[in-house]
Amino acid sequence: MTELLVSPPFILALNFFAFLLGLAIYRRSGTPLLHPIVGASAFTALALWLLHIPYGDYQRASGLLYALLGPAVVALAVPLRQNLPIIRRAAWPLLVTLVVSAALAPVAGVLIALLLGAAKPILLALSGKAVTTPIALGLAEKVGAAASLTVGIVVFSGVVGAVLGPPLLSRLGIRDQRVLGFALGINAHAIGTARALEISALCGAFAALSMGLCGALTAFALPFFLGR
Amino acid sequence: MGLPNVTFKRALSWLAGAFTLLAFEGLGVALGRWLELPVPGAVLGMVLLLLALLVYGSVPTGLAAVSGLLLRSLALLFLPAAVGVYFLRGFATSDWLALLAATTVGTLLSFLLTALLLQRLLRRESPGEDSD
Repeated sequence: MTELLVSPPFILALNFFAFLLGLAIYRRSGTPLLHPIVGASAFTALALWLLHIPYGDYQRASGLLYALLGPAVVALAVPLRQNLPIIRRAAWPLLVTLVVSAALAPVAGVLIALLLGAAKPILLALSGKAVTTPIALGLAEKVGAAASLTVGIVVFSGVVGAVLGPPLLSRLGIRDQRVLGFALGINAHAIGTARALEISALCGAFAALSMGLCGALTAFALPFFLGR
Repeated sequence: MGLPNVTFKRALSWLAGAFTLLAFEGLGVALGRWLELPVPGAVLGMVLLLLALLVYGSVPTGLAAVSGLLLRSLALLFLPAAVGVYFLRGFATSDWLALLAATTVGTLLSFLLTALLLQRLLRRESPGEDSD
């Protein structure tokens, strides 16, 4: 019985069902607060707990999904290629903002945690907070951060940025959709890009562009800064 | 007679798309190892594919389809890692509070600064032309 519960076919079916459930909850609610990963991970964790499946066994049986993360990162080149022409319209403002923000976003998070006396594993995991999840997972492995903590931080940051970012800017009278999209892509990654696409195609294109470029830039810069 | 042919062609272009992604990931990993770069191999693969697509001029249909499918199911792919959040042990309450503050305040702060900086730079680039 236990052998069946930790076999890859059973675990993959569990993952797939949890994903569909999370997707259905998200579609019905329509708020980024309930991003599919929120419902899916809560359901899976509950199932593991009820069935007494150790997390390590579950992880091992989910190998196929981990193996697909690499190709998914490579696939990010496609939306990046499609949105790259945007950059020609305002190359300097976009590139300067990209470099400054790619550095600023993790530094702001790490500094706040440092001031509040957080432990080193938390600081390491926070360094990847402005990077889309599949890239952040690859980076976590390179810089020695805990994968689960990294995913949690990236998803939570994404939800915060996607839910609170747009009303924050409109309260301040910033209505330029290029600006909103760019800020969403860097600070709220994939969840922010999904939100940006709901606002307008222009907003979504800027978000997809800044998310891809910020992820690539951080992946190149961070390992050097952390001396690995 | 015509229908299976179209299906066959579509399946072939999907296979070519999937093979392209795997090939570029392998290429990126090999390049990273060869140059001893600390950058994740898949990210190198993504940059190589971006360069290749810029040279090629457009995105092949099969590659666009497979990439779209993968990116739409991202939440499924990183689900196993996300579930681990529920099994994290050994952090003090103060660590969790620091984490909460860093992710909420930190994200909003950098969100705001990104927007203010870009808006100022765009205004300077094209004065008079406001948001479009």
